[in-house]
Amino acid sequence: MNITRRQTLTGASALAGTAIGAEQAAAQSALNVGFILIGPVGDFGWSTMHDVGRRRMESVLGNRVTSTQVEAVAPPDFDRVATQLVRTGCRLIFTTSFSYFAPTQRVAAANPNVMWESATGTATAANLAIYNARFYEGRYVQGVIAARKSRSKTIGYVATFPVPEVIHAINTVMRGAWSVDPSIRIRVVWISAWFNPGREADAARALIDQGCDVICQHTDSPAPLQLAEQRGNVFGFGQASDMTRFAPRAHLTSSINSWGDYYVSRARAVLDGSWRPADTWGGLGSGMFSLAAFTNMTPEEVSEATRIRDALAAGTLHPFDGPITRADGTLVIPAGQRLTDDQIRAQNYFYQGIDVAMP
Amino acid sequence: MRLVMEKRSETPLWLMVVSPLIAVGLPVLAAIIMFTLLGKDPARALYVYFIDPISDSWGLQEVAVKATPLVLIALGLAVCYRANVWNIGAEGQFLLGAMAGGWLAVITHGSTQGPWLLPAMMMLGALAGACWALIPGVLRTRFGANEILTSLMLVYVAEYLLDYLVRGPWRDPGGFNMPQTVIFEPEAVLPLLMEGGRLNIGTPIMLVMVVAFAILMGRTLKGFEIRLVGEAPRAARFAGFSEKGLVLTVFAISGALAGLAGMLEAAGTVKQLQPGISPGYGFTAIIVAFLGRLNPVGCLVAGIFIAITFIGGENAQIMLRLPLDATRVLQGLLLFFVLACDSLLLYRFRFVREARA
Repeated sequence: MNITRRQTLTGASALAGTAIGAEQAAAQSALNVGFILIGPVGDFGWSTMHDVGRRRMESVLGNRVTSTQVEAVAPPDFDRVATQLVRTGCRLIFTTSFSYFAPTQRVAAANPNVMWESATGTATAANLAIYNARFYEGRYVQGVIAARKSRSKTIGYVATFPVPEVIHAINTVMRGAWSVDPSIRIRVVWISAWFNPGREADAARALIDQGCDVICQHTDSPAPLQLAEQRGNVFGFGQASDMTRFAPRAHLTSSINSWGDYYVSRARAVLDGSWRPADTWGGLGSGMFSLAAFTNMTPEEVSEATRIRDALAAGTLHPFDGPITRADGTLVIPAGQRLTDDQIRAQNYFYQGIDVAMP
Repeated sequence: MRLVMEKRSETPLWLMVVSPLIAVGLPVLAAIIMFTLLGKDPARALYVYFIDPISDSWGLQEVAVKATPLVLIALGLAVCYRANVWNIGAEGQFLLGAMAGGWLAVITHGSTQGPWLLPAMMMLGALAGACWALIPGVLRTRFGANEILTSLMLVYVAEYLLDYLVRGPWRDPGGFNMPQTVIFEPEAVLPLLMEGGRLNIGTPIMLVMVVAFAILMGRTLKGFEIRLVGEAPRAARFAGFSEKGLVLTVFAISGALAGLAGMLEAAGTVKQLQPGISPGYGFTAIIVAFLGRLNPVGCLVAGIFIAITFIGGENAQIMLRLPLDATRVLQGLLLFFVLACDSLLLYRFRFVREARA
């Protein structure tokens, strides 16, 4: 068989044609993933880490996905932004705040062909999954460390809203602290925002003025930690990302959120058609979050914190074992029992010994 | 030497022609430079920013929904400012309207009411806004207190009142302690006007108000009185107009409109009360009022313009993947150029040599 030059050329261009065609097809079929963030990507905390997760998803899945992100969306604007994401072709949308959960349920019902994932939520639906990490495990470790570091025996807590997620975090910090020293007390300031550096710093200042010398924070900016650094002789914990650099002398450890692998697996599931609504709640053992290197602690304190962290990750230590008694004295569960996940997620009471008013 | 800004006695014709061109041209030029620096195709970016929001029914409806509260509030503010009364507290009057209307929706939640509910909520909203605005009005007419300060400070009072209510007595029992009320029953929510969008009856109400205020200001004795008191208070006194009565009237009018806007926003877009119910509509409306040259139809145009830049900024985040801050910078540039050109049209700068003592 004679192959002429013309035929070769045709063949080559045909090959080139298929290659280009395949590339176009890949670009066209690339899954567009939407992200709606409650704060700016530059909050150095919660929203920053979702952005990091999104970028990891893009780098792992390459040209099979593209992503679109909208920052600092106020809840009243949520419906419009979510609808616009659907209209521009997103087929999987992550809404990353509990403040978006009710509107996400509403928009998900109106857009059944789009898969929705709400970071923290209370129910799933046919096209709505919820995901979260068991941050309370980190809170328990914080409580243990705080009890070792506090000289005034008083921990301060910069809190956001009195939702169960925050309430069980405060309860767990105290569980951890009491495991070291039952005389530890806690003070809480509610700032009614997830991200507001000015108010976060004011709250930390008020707590320190009231005698707290270890500050825990549920808010997303490094402001409380920076204030602790400024005051000196006060310690604090970073929230959501490794905040060591913001307070080299005050930082003890940070809880580091890591959503990348989850985003990769969920996007992949949509791509290969295996996406199902799920309720994911991963702990220290799951890789959804980890603790930053312990700093400003003695070797004994570090080894104790490490031991407790590993026990929590392995599941041999559980922060919600009974007995659990409410602040008003009623018994929730006796010794030998453990709260179920649903009970933890619905926790709206403080434990006995926590003298904090709900706002 | 110092620089003074003085009002032009007459605006030269060439400037009247050139100024609007500059006002449009400079921001577009600034936008092109910014988009190019950010590595985006300027033509596509301009399209996404300004044309896409108004290119289909859904987008137009969203612009209308966003513009409705802005225009309503600005209409009332324009009346105030025309009369030389400086109501800066529309944000608080807006919140009071939302609270009063929302109160009715919350206490009737779970029971069936008749079609009277929505009109009653609107009346209550407007009434509450007017009462809230009358506080600085009375403080000024009775005690001579500066209404700029008092009206502004009442904004914070209103914010904390809303905060208290949604955290305390009106909190949704099933809402996981989040500071918000129940989602309103369908009959306490503004009916939608068409499928596939969120346009509700708030927008036609706003348009009726624009027409009503255009007539009020342009064709009635009251409108003349308002303008006269603002521009020539001495002449107004000679004409027998009561300045005090007028201050209270314009405060009540603008408070009622802001209150109505707040109620419409609560019952139309948000469908519940929560602390973040207004992204600063009461303050943005001040810009709208001045951009619209304190003229009712002008307020309508300016409100739509601001709504487009807001939604365009969101679009730019979604379609161009611009960061939020870049879209805000652009919005700020636009306003800066438009207002600067406007000032150049009405004023001129002159260097004045100061006499030495």
